[in-house]
Amino acid sequence: MTVEEQIREIIARITHVDKSLITREATFKDIKADSLDIVQTLVAVEEAFGIEIPDEEAQKFQNFGDFVSYVEGRVVQKERV
Amino acid sequence: MSFEGKLALVTGGGRGIGRAIALKLASQGADIVVNFFRRREAAEQTAEDIRALGVKAEVIRANVGDPAKVDEMFDTIGNKFGRLDILINNAASGVGRSVMDIDVKAWDWTMDINARACLLCAQRAARLMEGRGGKIVSLSSLGSFLVWPTYAIVGVSKGALETLTRYLAIELAPRGICVNAVAASFVETEALKFYFTEGLNQDNIPTTPAGRRVTPEDVANVVAFLCSEEAFMIRGQTIIIDGGSSICSPLFSFKKND
Ligand SMILES: NC(=O)c1ccc[n+]([C@@H]2O[C@H](COP(=O)([O-])OP(=O)(O)OC[C@H]3O[C@@H](n4cnc5c(N)ncnc54)[C@H](OP(=O)(O)O)[C@@H]3O)[C@@H](O)[C@H]2O)c1
Repeated sequence: MTVEEQIREIIARITHVDKSLITREATFKDIKADSLDIVQTLVAVEEAFGIEIPDEEAQKFQNFGDFVSYVEGRVVQKERV
Repeated sequence: MSFEGKLALVTGGGRGIGRAIALKLASQGADIVVNFFRRREAAEQTAEDIRALGVKAEVIRANVGDPAKVDEMFDTIGNKFGRLDILINNAASGVGRSVMDIDVKAWDWTMDINARACLLCAQRAARLMEGRGGKIVSLSSLGSFLVWPTYAIVGVSKGALETLTRYLAIELAPRGICVNAVAASFVETEALKFYFTEGLNQDNIPTTPAGRRVTPEDVANVVAFLCSEEAFMIRGQTIIIDGGSSICSPLFSFKKND
């Protein structure tokens, strides 16, 4: 599974939203995720990929695509270390 | 009051009231472990400000709602320092909802962080305080007693925290550990802004007899006192910090003191 697919799975599991709605352009607001859904998603993604996503960074994501790109970047960085 | 040579852990110590407590204890000589969850930058900044006071500061990331992470945090403290003198259970989270909208997910999240974590941290802290005694202070809120709009789950979790404080105070007394709590009314922090946008109306806040709103520093001062030897005979209490608002009948009217 790609990073994108894994994150989509996690969001769908936590928010109970159909995966087809979680497009790269979708925002948390579009899928009606509340603040608890968002923090639980961040924690689950951190654990799945063994990375840290501080709120200061997460607040910059405009949509799901930004979120995926950030995690992909961090995963690559981690593999290099 | 001096905490020189003492080591304190402040959960959620990176910002808000936790930060004020961490700085207050540090200003009196304590070395501080600043625990944080989501805001690394804020925690690093607080640690830097603590070091500027001439004491040691360590930053540890842990979601205190996750028992495995609590264990990891205490393992790190145990390995690095081998002891702990003061535990401040300050971290809290919650969802602003009325009772009919609370679901299992929101309940578990809030109770795990605000109540269960206080138990797990106290258990681990008590072991690091073995043979030397210690102080545990937990942050409750007046919303455990007063009914605030959309505050239900957090209020309930704080009720559990206050009862836990009494049990811990008695059962840990033979180990030389003093356990207490503080309960503030509205304090100027980000959390307050959150609750205002989620349903609390600022105009509904009754005038405070003391003439102003509670600040994080007001809370930190009381917490520091409870951590001192001067408070030795206070056990299992929840000290209210509200400038008199909770006992003041609406029949009184106050002129603002500015
Ligand atoms: N503000 C008020 O009006 C008020 C009134 C009465 C009582 N209190 C109580 O005072 C305490 C501090 O309140 P505050 O206003 O300073 O809160 P805040 O501004 O919302 O800050 C919450 C703090 O808790 C940390 N935290 C949240 N979830 C955590 C978790 N799962 N694991 C570890 N840390 C976690 C946060 O760390 P990150 O930032 O790193 O996520 C942050 O440092 C709380 O117990 C609160 O209930 C506040």
